[in-house]
Amino acid sequence: MIALAAYAPLIALVGALINGIFGRNLKEPLPGYIASAAVFAAFVLSVMAFFGLQGQEHGSNVQLWQYLSAGNFKLNLAFNIDHLAVIMMMIITGVGFLIHIYSIAYMHNDSGFSRYFSFLNLFIASMLILVMADSFPLMFIGWEGVGVCSFLLIGFWYGIKANADAARKAFIVNRIGDFGFLLAMFLTYKVFGTLNIADMLGHIQVARVLPAGLTAIALLYLLAAMGKSAQMPLHVWLPDAMAGPTPVSALIHAATMVTAGVYLIARIAPLFAASPSASMVVAWVGLITAFVAAFIALSQTDIKRILAYSTLSQLGYMFVALGCGAYWVAIFHVFTHAFFKALLFLTSGSVIHAMGGEQDVEKMGGLHKYMKLTSITAFIGTLAIAGVPFLSGFFSKDAILAHAFTTTLAPVALNYIAYIILLVTAVMTAFYMMRWYYLVFLGKERLSKEAKAHVHESPSLMTMPLGVLAFLSVVAGYFGLPEFLAKNQFASWLENSIEVDISFGHPPVWLEWTLILISVAAAAIGLGLAYWVYSRKKSKAMLRISNSAIAKFSQSGAGFDGFYNAGIIKPAEETAEGLALLDAEVLDTGLSSLALGVGLFAGLMRKIQTGYIRFYALAMALGFAVLVILAAFWGKLS
Amino acid sequence: MIGTEYYIALSAIIFSIGTVGVLSRRSAIMVFLSIELMLNAANLAMVAFARAWASEGALAAMNGQAAVFIILAIAAAEVAVGLGILVAIFRYRETTELDLLSEMRL
Amino acid sequence: MTLAVIFIPLIAAFVLLIINDRKLQAAIAFLAAIASFVVSLFLSSALPISRLWIPGFNSYFELNPAGAASVLVLVASLVMIPTVLYASKQIEKNTGNFLALLLFMQAGLNGIFLAKDLVLFYLFWEATLIPSLMMLGIWGRKNRRKAVVKYLIYAVGGSFFMLISILAIKPLAGAASYRFMDLYAVTPKLPVQTQIWLFLGFSAAFLVKQPIFPLHSWLISFNEENHHSGVADVMGTLYKVGAFGFFAWAMPLLPEGAKAVSPFLMVLAAFSAVYAIIAAISQTNLKRALAYASLSHMGIIGVGIFALNLIGSNGAVFLLAAQMLSTGGLFLITGMLYERRKSFDINEYGGIAKSAPMLAAFALFIIFTSIGVPGLANFPGEFMSLMGAFQSNVGATVIAALAVIGAGVFGVNLYQRIFQADETKPLIDLDRLELIVLIPILAGILWLGLAPNLELEKIEIQSRYINPISQTVESNNKAGDSQ
Repeated sequence: MIALAAYAPLIALVGALINGIFGRNLKEPLPGYIASAAVFAAFVLSVMAFFGLQGQEHGSNVQLWQYLSAGNFKLNLAFNIDHLAVIMMMIITGVGFLIHIYSIAYMHNDSGFSRYFSFLNLFIASMLILVMADSFPLMFIGWEGVGVCSFLLIGFWYGIKANADAARKAFIVNRIGDFGFLLAMFLTYKVFGTLNIADMLGHIQVARVLPAGLTAIALLYLLAAMGKSAQMPLHVWLPDAMAGPTPVSALIHAATMVTAGVYLIARIAPLFAASPSASMVVAWVGLITAFVAAFIALSQTDIKRILAYSTLSQLGYMFVALGCGAYWVAIFHVFTHAFFKALLFLTSGSVIHAMGGEQDVEKMGGLHKYMKLTSITAFIGTLAIAGVPFLSGFFSKDAILAHAFTTTLAPVALNYIAYIILLVTAVMTAFYMMRWYYLVFLGKERLSKEAKAHVHESPSLMTMPLGVLAFLSVVAGYFGLPEFLAKNQFASWLENSIEVDISFGHPPVWLEWTLILISVAAAAIGLGLAYWVYSRKKSKAMLRISNSAIAKFSQSGAGFDGFYNAGIIKPAEETAEGLALLDAEVLDTGLSSLALGVGLFAGLMRKIQTGYIRFYALAMALGFAVLVILAAFWGKLS
Repeated sequence: MIGTEYYIALSAIIFSIGTVGVLSRRSAIMVFLSIELMLNAANLAMVAFARAWASEGALAAMNGQAAVFIILAIAAAEVAVGLGILVAIFRYRETTELDLLSEMRL
Repeated sequence: MTLAVIFIPLIAAFVLLIINDRKLQAAIAFLAAIASFVVSLFLSSALPISRLWIPGFNSYFELNPAGAASVLVLVASLVMIPTVLYASKQIEKNTGNFLALLLFMQAGLNGIFLAKDLVLFYLFWEATLIPSLMMLGIWGRKNRRKAVVKYLIYAVGGSFFMLISILAIKPLAGAASYRFMDLYAVTPKLPVQTQIWLFLGFSAAFLVKQPIFPLHSWLISFNEENHHSGVADVMGTLYKVGAFGFFAWAMPLLPEGAKAVSPFLMVLAAFSAVYAIIAAISQTNLKRALAYASLSHMGIIGVGIFALNLIGSNGAVFLLAAQMLSTGGLFLITGMLYERRKSFDINEYGGIAKSAPMLAAFALFIIFTSIGVPGLANFPGEFMSLMGAFQSNVGATVIAALAVIGAGVFGVNLYQRIFQADETKPLIDLDRLELIVLIPILAGILWLGLAPNLELEKIEIQSRYINPISQTVESNNKAGDSQ
């Protein structure tokens, strides 16, 4: 029953092929239904695998075929469907299915309808391969596959240069991460002599490798994860990736693909657990990303960019959890985040759809009365991500805070610093989400005339997935209740896959409750503050704040793009041009002058060939004479 | 009996005359004749040596004589072909002046 | 059967020179290409051939399809089918002669891959020079004269040193004949100093043909000036056999020389890979850009070959085969673009994916192959080349792996500038013939990309001859495992 899940990527791939090859001949909704059906079948297989794994300690290994070989080096492609993979598979196919359904309505009348679903199915297939892989190269196949699909889907409306540029940016930044992945694999092979994940982890547990080697490998995998999961400073592609259709942003750039980095680190958790210094770097990357991205999100005005920076910030939280050694917590947050962030993106898609393509929150407001369903589900999502008690985001985020506070991987002082940064970030998160919700759905209507004439609630194909996701955003958290309240289903499920031994401090129950109360307070402060600020008329003081340098800094995305353009891209372009010139002019000319030398010599030799027979005869006679003389002096004429 | 060295000296003189002829004459016909002269100088040397080696046995003597016949045959063939070419060139260019024939085309 | 892959194209080429009807010529060339492809499918099980050929210095007419030869011949023959097909449509003047040259070239190439006698190898090596020069010289573009001269000087100059090495190696080692096995029995025992000099002699020819920085500038003008259909460039792509020379001859015969010289060459190759891809990014001429990109591939092949271990050499030869498909395919697409817009200037294009979606899809697919997206043909080779290289020189590999980022930049930039953003004038999409031309390439790419191991195993038979060194590397690894 578990092994059947190996067919899931194949089914999605077949869906992609059908739509890719015959799609243009199919009438409109049909490609959407074919694609959705394929993903649903994959979902069913994943759920079957999930139930098949109940009570099992080990996953099922499905051998495919031999891929590479050279001497002792053998690489078989195989799927490893274990507890961790199956969680990811259910997220991918489950959320993926809902988003496919949503897309049928969202992409209605688009000229690339079948192309869209073909890419989407291809993405699902690649992502499944990524999470099911039992060796690094197979994972890399999925890893690059999702990158390619992301490229194709961000640039889906390629006729507009900005979209095409965003797609290119995403691909190139991801390539930097891939560079890390490649080197990590090479080093893995050099140190461990295998590229199989389980084998490598087995070698760590018997601890034969120098810590420096482990740290180097871990940091290279971290580089890979940072590219895919858009951690600073490699995050710049994700906000731009919003150029793609909104369901794509929901599926790829919020729920699934960007969490691949988190998945990668969780998958090889023992490696990071064995290297505290690498874990520390992971935690700090996460902390910086969480904080800075939340700060940037405060002032963005594009409905999707706010959410994109929010995604960055939440991914930062996950990295902090990884860095603290709380691997199940990171996956738990991946799990809850997938629901509420997909929900938020889909609601903004619904808004964009209703507004006829408008994305500026300054030109929205008061939409609640036009689209109640969208508004209510969006509100649930907002509360969930802000960390309001009893919703899913609360449990996962609180778990991260608690584990950052109690981890033994870092010195105690750092625990406190990390905790405080995360807490401040949590306040900011609640603030920008409330701001987002208020500016879109509440307050004064700032709609343009065309938009006002156009605005309407979205069709049921779109609102249905919203409802399901909203429901999941509420209940998903109860799988991972804190230990002192109930048995943690999520942690004990994942223990089968992630075998690490990291101890966490066990604070007294009163402290646990205090921590929880503090996070609740953080959420309340953020939400309340935002509501208070945006429900009042703009005062002079407010205007001054929004014009201040720090606000400008936030709006510009903390200056990353500017810095990259001036500091890296421009010099790189100039280098490339200079090098091309150098190659064409200097090197080529230099070597061509060598050729010229040959030509000159040939010209000289040609002059000797006069064509006068007497000259040749004389040369012959003289040459013979010389030979005779030589022979007479040096030869042995006996 | 006249010593072999006399024959060789004569041969050398004739050969030198031929060489000078080849180098100095402009007419292709004359160059041809000079080459013939050189060939025959070689023939003379061969025959002279053959005679000198006659005491070593018939086979040793025959070697030189045989070479002479081969050279004669080649010379005849060469004259036939060479003169044919010359006649063709003369028909086309109305000259056999070698200095005017320095290009590798007609 | 082994003879057939050389003689089918050879005989067809002579037939083409005799007959005059253009349609018949196209048909014969196509049939010959198909026939030699079908034969090459079964090549790996064919029997070797060995006859005494030049008794004077014991040279044999020996061909052996075992090993890398069967893979390279197979892929090259596959690429020949679309090339011949496209050439018979695109070459306006003297089509028959051009097709004949293509087939001569194929015969020669197959000879290079199959020859197991050093003199025979040299003969094929030099024989292929002639058709490629004639294609460039007769059907090339405006400034072809300079390109011809440059190419000739590089090629002949390199071969000259190789010839010296070939002439010297047998008497120095005291081998019984010029056959590979006879040489292999004795040449590894030559003194180190001698091996280094001989290896350098071979290197001169192989580095030029590979090519590796700084001996590459012939390639750029060669591709730029060749016929605009890109057909001749495809042959040029098949013809970059320098790495094969190292793999099949120089390295197994002169292991000590290889050991001494390879580290330097590896650094050069790594530099070449990065250098070329950076230069490629800023090119505005489509063919020049592709020439630089393929030069970068050669750098990666280089680091794999010079790593002197099984992983590296298996991967490098595999990449050599795979890039025939990817680079060849890209040149064909270039030809198709030129036919429609009469320009190789990238700035003349833009946004044409809208009007020519199929062309765009094929182009993107092959570009992705070319930049090493996993699951497609180039990836296994690139991966193993770099991984092999990493085991012997970490620093050079890191540099070479930077080319992976560079290739990504190059690939998506190229695609975007031609196919995306604001639409220039609409373009006609692929017609049926072009579709038929591209499909074999597509199939080949998927085949090599998904099941590379079938070919890798064949390559490994021959990689084993570089074994004495490989084994030490591997046993080091094993020692590392069981510490």
